[in-house]
Amino acid sequence: MELTGRARASQSPPAALLGAFSSFVAAALNPQEELRAERKPDPVLVQIEAVPSRSAVSIPTRFELEYSEVTGSGGLSSARPFRRSLLGIAAGDRDSIFALGDGEVRIFSPGGRPEGSWKAPDQSACLTVSADGTVFFGSPGRVHIYSRDGNRLGEFAAGESGRPAEITAVKICGKEILAADAAARIIRRYDREGKQLGAIGAHGKIRSFMLPNRFLDMDVDAGGVIRAADPGRHRVTAWNLKGEPLGQFGKFGLRNPEDFVGCCNPVNLAVTPDGKIVTAEKVAARVKVYAAGGPLLAVIGPEHFDPRCTHLHLAVDAKGRILVADPMRLEIKVFSAKPVQGGGELA
Amino acid sequence: MSDKSSRRQFMDRSLRIVGLAGIGGAAAVLTKRAASNTVFQVDPSKCVACDLCRTSCVLAHSAVRAVNDFPKCGYCQLCPAYYDVTSQPDEMGLPTGKVCPRDALKRQVVGKIDEEDPNNNYYEYTIDESLCDGCGKCVKACKPPAGNGALRLEIRYSQCFECDSCAIQPVCPEDAVVRVATPGLSPAAEHAESQESS
Repeated sequence: MELTGRARASQSPPAALLGAFSSFVAAALNPQEELRAERKPDPVLVQIEAVPSRSAVSIPTRFELEYSEVTGSGGLSSARPFRRSLLGIAAGDRDSIFALGDGEVRIFSPGGRPEGSWKAPDQSACLTVSADGTVFFGSPGRVHIYSRDGNRLGEFAAGESGRPAEITAVKICGKEILAADAAARIIRRYDREGKQLGAIGAHGKIRSFMLPNRFLDMDVDAGGVIRAADPGRHRVTAWNLKGEPLGQFGKFGLRNPEDFVGCCNPVNLAVTPDGKIVTAEKVAARVKVYAAGGPLLAVIGPEHFDPRCTHLHLAVDAKGRILVADPMRLEIKVFSAKPVQGGGELA
Repeated sequence: MSDKSSRRQFMDRSLRIVGLAGIGGAAAVLTKRAASNTVFQVDPSKCVACDLCRTSCVLAHSAVRAVNDFPKCGYCQLCPAYYDVTSQPDEMGLPTGKVCPRDALKRQVVGKIDEEDPNNNYYEYTIDESLCDGCGKCVKACKPPAGNGALRLEIRYSQCFECDSCAIQPVCPEDAVVRVATPGLSPAAEHAESQESS
């Protein structure tokens, strides 16, 4: 396969991971080197062979990804780049892209054309968009509800009195609003009026999610199963709305790309319409795609992201395109998969 | 006339010199008093844990120690400052190597303990100050994004000569050793010193 741009330098996942870790250590030893190493990816459409060798590790399928930038100083789009912050990303109705940053919400067409922007609620830390275009924000102790055009529809308090929820993710599950509370280390369930219906994350000996980095991310699949990252345990967990655990996968490891590196990974998580699970890790900033049961399908290598990232915000649109917001480079990138001839199925 | 003039000039000069000497003396006293109310300390926001604190201190066993800021600590099962994550894993999947060359960072399970699944436990990391020499390897490994930045280096005044001079300060490449107002010890330092004295 002919690779172009930076993708030509693709390595086998273990080598890429060790390389990224080594470069991180080297950068920590010499900050000047780190600055020199911070090269932005070439602003060209590239093709990436995410898992180049089946023999290196037992990965059943191969992936090919197309990549483009929505925003960024060298992006393909004419979109105004984010200047100060990029806190969240969501796929909206009609596959539009909603990004939260610089104190506002910016809306892009699926191709990255700016469609509008409006002021976000103060201290908003995350957002999601429901199928009807309603936009939900999480801020310290509050959930805010806005129309697609930025009109305020309502808000309610989240958490307990004197212990407000530290909301790091908000999602919609049927008629319920789910708010990931990193302070209480649980997922809180609310109806649209703000009445708490229950909590997810504590069951048996699992007293709550383990969040050394104080960040809890989750998503809901088409069947209503809630997938949540449990970074302190290096796991991806599955729950139903009643709070019953349905399964988990993942463990710590450095050499096998299926495993999660560092003290606490995966940090971010999203689910594709067909049930694949997308995770994002820090230290070796990378995005991985897993089948619903856990087998690894693809690695989107660290070369696309800033190595200093402690988060990579994720979303997946209805077409299965993976949207990644890099909060250090203030860039949004879109990755889409397509089958490779002779490479097997994507599922 | 000229005699009177020269006497007056002499008196003028003498008064000026005495005045300037007085101002200079007062400034020196104030400066010394100000300096006596300050101490050298490591600014964690500047520190890059370069190991010069260990090698440049005039003491054979440096007066600098690593300190864990517990509210910032994640109590991780797999602390990147404790484990050398690049070392071979054991049968439990945990790395066999440690970051600290003097084994000064101690790990113990805290809270309600799940014997069956260690993933459900929290782990506290404390520093044995009799072993720590301020090399900063753990501090570097704890820096974001790998860790939370809970570990930092701190000058222990109980170890210092308090000579109002610091051998580390002029060699620090990041100017991270700075004068700060005489503090009470940080909670972590107080905890360590009380343990040391007991």
